[in-house]
Amino acid sequence: MELKRVSYSYPGGQPLINEFTASIPETGILAIIGPNGAGKSTILNLLSGELTPTSGQVLLNGTPVSEMSTKARANQIAVVRQHNEVYDDLAVKDVVKMGRLAFHSLFSVVSDSEVAPFLEQTHLTDLADRQLSELSGGQQQRVWIAMALAQEPAVLLLDEPTTYLDIRYQVDLMNLVVQLQQEKQIAVIMVLHDMNQAFRVSHRIWLIKAGQLVKQGSPETLLDSALLSQTFDFPVRVVDVADYGRYVIQMPSGQETDNLRKLI
Amino acid sequence: MKRERLAYAVVIIGLLMTIFVALMSGVDFYSPAEVWGAVTGQNNTAFNTVMMFRLPRILAALICGGMLSVAGAFSQSVFRNQLADPSILGMTSAGDFFILIGGLLLPNFPFQKAILAVLGGVIVLHILARPASIRQPLRLIIVGVALNLTFVGFQQVLTSGTVGLGGQSFNGITWQSTLTLLGVGTLGLIAALVVAPWANYLKLGDQQLAGVGVPVTAMRWWLLALVIYLTCGVTAVIGTIPFMGIVIPNIGRRVVGHDYQTLIPFSMLSGAWLLLIADTVGRLVVLPSELAAASIMTVIGGPFLVIMLQRGAIHGIKAS
Repeated sequence: MELKRVSYSYPGGQPLINEFTASIPETGILAIIGPNGAGKSTILNLLSGELTPTSGQVLLNGTPVSEMSTKARANQIAVVRQHNEVYDDLAVKDVVKMGRLAFHSLFSVVSDSEVAPFLEQTHLTDLADRQLSELSGGQQQRVWIAMALAQEPAVLLLDEPTTYLDIRYQVDLMNLVVQLQQEKQIAVIMVLHDMNQAFRVSHRIWLIKAGQLVKQGSPETLLDSALLSQTFDFPVRVVDVADYGRYVIQMPSGQETDNLRKLI
Repeated sequence: MKRERLAYAVVIIGLLMTIFVALMSGVDFYSPAEVWGAVTGQNNTAFNTVMMFRLPRILAALICGGMLSVAGAFSQSVFRNQLADPSILGMTSAGDFFILIGGLLLPNFPFQKAILAVLGGVIVLHILARPASIRQPLRLIIVGVALNLTFVGFQQVLTSGTVGLGGQSFNGITWQSTLTLLGVGTLGLIAALVVAPWANYLKLGDQQLAGVGVPVTAMRWWLLALVIYLTCGVTAVIGTIPFMGIVIPNIGRRVVGHDYQTLIPFSMLSGAWLLLIADTVGRLVVLPSELAAASIMTVIGGPFLVIMLQRGAIHGIKAS
């Protein structure tokens, strides 16, 4: 996918995204990080075609995403949202079957066996007949991922998939995403709140602020105290943690903090 | 699965027994043998009562019960609100009102009742079907109830107060009207079975449905068109029979679960059964006079709605 000088603003409002140009490799995990209000979710919505750029183009294999039919888009791009609206109750397997509507007509009946592999991949086989309301937050999030996988997308977009989960489910979910990406060799694009999560799992990172790309590159190149402190307007330091690797922490007070504060 | 089968078995057996009781009972009571004689044409005295009066009336009640219950279930899915029944929202009383006006102004216009019933339904839907009503379930119901009262009021003004809720009845229905209802109803109910999965799809938010390539808006309008067709089909021939669409689907959710592919056929059968019970009870309790099925349904449905509201059903159908 490719973003070519993409800008987006609400009518009469300030631009949320400003002349954004970048390209996304066909395979790998890309994490988008940045402070609140940087435009992370807006970028994701532009990539999914839910929003149409005010100027510039979002291209998938050379075709503008906003000009594709909803069906054609559903075949290529799947989105796992931060907030999922559900009215009434429905069984896990029925949710996943809806993902298959990307390939079928509205009148067709999707069989259980057709969605079995997607339930299997997300470790939901045992929960297939349970109602969504009976599941925990982490399990529900896996259901939404299974539904997205059922679309067999080339690009999988996830908007802060771990936000409401406790640490165990966060780690489980990230491991699942990494594993699925390796198996399917697709492009995974995630907006992540937790920088350390982003640095740990992704192959590539976009650091954005005020609707613009501050820097992109591999996690190693972005693990820079000064760069991150400046972008987040908050003093942070990259430290080495034994048996883990490099980790971003909130800065304790001291000389180095004062130096970083001057930068901000 | 087992519970589902049991529920279907109970409803089907109950339905058949009620049909038989309804054929036997009335001002003149006939034994099973006499009913059989009437059906096979051997008993001439019973033939007239059973085949010309009771049978068309029973069939009309059955098909109307199915139509109204299914319309209620779909309406609840489209509005994402388990209280959204066409009769509560004022669709049927608007239809009654326009039919009343049409009867005064254009008494000989062809298909006027059907056209006017649909017109009433469409006008009410036009007022109700907007995004705010779906986001705010309480608002939908309050506006709907107000519309209902308004159109009932209009009818009372035009008829000096002689028309009220619950006046409509299957009394004296002709074979011709019954066959019309059966034709219209069967088509609508077949369509309902075909599109039942759509009602399940609408359990997800619009954004998500668009994300899997579903044309949400078109789907919603087709389902609303079916709701109008089923509801107004009954209104045009019989008039308003309230609460069917709220009582049956909500009992159905308890009994067979929330999957519309089971809930829709279950609503057809149990709706048919309930309305036949209401009509038969109405026919028998105050012999030789009778109570309208609509009155019986008001007496059953009113308290049912109150209990649902007290239990907090107003927050819409929300699971997680």
